Amino acid sequence: MMTITVPTAPTVSRPALGRTGTAAALLLPIALINAIGFILPVLNLLRMSFNEALAGGGVRETFTLANWTGLFGDSFYVELIINSITVSLSITIATLIVSYPIALYLHRSTGRWRTFLTVLVISPLLTSAVVRTYGWIALLADQGPIVSAIAALGIAPPRLMFNTTGVIIGLTEILMPYMILSLLAGFGRLDPRVEEAAMSLGAPPAKTFWRVILPLTLPGIALGCLLCFVLAVSSFITPKLLGGGRIFLLATEIYDQAIVTLNWPLAATLSMLVLIIFGAALAAYARVLRAIE
Amino acid sequence: MMHQTVLCGSATVSDGRDVHLRLDGLTKRYGESVAVAALDLAVPKGELVALLGPSGCGKTTTLRMVAGLIKPTNGRIVVGSNDITIMPTYRRDMGLVFQSYALFPHMSVAKNVAFGLEMRSVPKPEIERRVKEALGMVRLEALAERKPRELSGGQQQRVALARALVIRPSILLLDEPLSNLDAKLRDEMRNEIRDIQQSLGITAVFVTHDQVEALSMCDKVVVMQGGKLEQVGTPVDVYEHPASPFVASFVGRTNRLKGTAQGDGSVTIGAMKVLVPGRPGGKVEIMVRPHRMKLVEEGSVEDVAGQEVNRLAGHLKRVTFVGDLLQYSVDVGGAEIVVEAASDHGRGFRIVGTPVAVLWRVEDTMVFGRGA
Repeated sequence: MMTITVPTAPTVSRPALGRTGTAAALLLPIALINAIGFILPVLNLLRMSFNEALAGGGVRETFTLANWTGLFGDSFYVELIINSITVSLSITIATLIVSYPIALYLHRSTGRWRTFLTVLVISPLLTSAVVRTYGWIALLADQGPIVSAIAALGIAPPRLMFNTTGVIIGLTEILMPYMILSLLAGFGRLDPRVEEAAMSLGAPPAKTFWRVILPLTLPGIALGCLLCFVLAVSSFITPKLLGGGRIFLLATEIYDQAIVTLNWPLAATLSMLVLIIFGAALAAYARVLRAIE
Repeated sequence: MMHQTVLCGSATVSDGRDVHLRLDGLTKRYGESVAVAALDLAVPKGELVALLGPSGCGKTTTLRMVAGLIKPTNGRIVVGSNDITIMPTYRRDMGLVFQSYALFPHMSVAKNVAFGLEMRSVPKPEIERRVKEALGMVRLEALAERKPRELSGGQQQRVALARALVIRPSILLLDEPLSNLDAKLRDEMRNEIRDIQQSLGITAVFVTHDQVEALSMCDKVVVMQGGKLEQVGTPVDVYEHPASPFVASFVGRTNRLKGTAQGDGSVTIGAMKVLVPGRPGGKVEIMVRPHRMKLVEEGSVEDVAGQEVNRLAGHLKRVTFVGDLLQYSVDVGGAEIVVEAASDHGRGFRIVGTPVAVLWRVEDTMVFGRGA
């Protein structure tokens, strides 16, 4: 057969400088918004965390480490920090466990069914967390349907609200859509042929899961866990309402210090601490990703 | 319901060999549509059998049912004397090689190959030895610590082959294993797979849509269409004695002419008349392989050594140079006939419009009835 060489169309190459200029121009608006709306306030908070709090909500411009030393010297705050991290980690793990099978099923479904299920998964985001939290209050209340049902079985009814359990239940459900979407985004490497290959090599379903499916979905798990952990640490409404004022977490304490006690330097210090925790979470995420490659 | 099991091919080839894999009335329906319809097949021990057919003919569905990845609607799958129809894949002990390689991307080459042995709780030193041996077989010892994505397509498929064979499966199943490789590599891998299959004496089923692969590698060719068997036979059988017009046109190139058989050993095609073997009658289709035909100058006297020949006059429409072959398209009374000749340094008829004649031996004519 005859082969004819088709001359390729000359590519139009724009000067490199022009392209960088375009990129800079496109990035400028978001850079400005971020600088004014995020970086400056954070720097302001950082400065305030070294200022002195005066009684009655005043702030004196000095440089003192009192807020930071006071924080780590006070067993209430140390416990609060540890509690915040453990509760957030529990929420993250609970969210992962309940979301993973849903995400896996969604990943494997096709066509209209998949579209329908995806919409179903995302739809809770259409309602605000406040409304959903009140929904959970109705469900988990001492006279609510869940507690009554457990009591009807003759089991001593547990307290599901105004304690850590309630906060974990409520936030787990509220964070599920984020976890499911993150998992789905990270499931790209999961190929049904690879699972079939594992089975053909003698791996029963459980072994296929642990040796093949789980390792291949680690990027999604890492992403979902990072996102949910960050959202759990910074969540405020749900712990406030479902905790009934008895659960002290970083976000609720920042609110109380800033709005109720009017100790802005302490609120700023706690905020910076939350940022440090986020930084650590990001670093951990980067390490996990590098380990997976 | 009784199913007559059709033994693969002639007794002379499979003589003395036990049937290793048997499919009895194997059927797969998806709602109304039938993917595989009551397939009966017996594969003798140590043979490489090709399931050949166009896409959608049910060949891959059949292979996946044998592997246990698809549940049959009906019928049985028997290996040796064990009915494995409902046995889960992971207990079937079959090596599976996919078109897309399907290597574990998070494991090194050595770990990929070791996986099946680990699942069988083989002791560690033995795993190491057998992985090395299997990688040696596909000449990849040097790449044992690489990740699959650092390998070329051909190398990945060799790893997949080593991974499937290291477990010493009872049957090797290959699902279009060469289709993702480029032409040159495909030729190499074809020989490699065949050599390994022969040296291990392993029973293998090879799914392909490529007739060259099926003819050149396999002991038996199973031609499928629309979920049914069209023909089962040796490559030579299937090529030289196709059982149906479909097989004749799918396996190898062929010229097809429709005509009416006169019952006296001749067929009229429009105003032309050709001689055919036997004395068929009614509406028929005749087929002749392009390389069985010869192109001569119009009016020349060709001596075909006393054989009965057909001769149709026409004129040259197109010449295609394919390197080793010259393909002539000849307009014969409105029909186009393709004639292939060995290309002698590209010499041959070159001028389009030249009056020519097409010759072929009567015995090279295949005749198929066209129904009523």
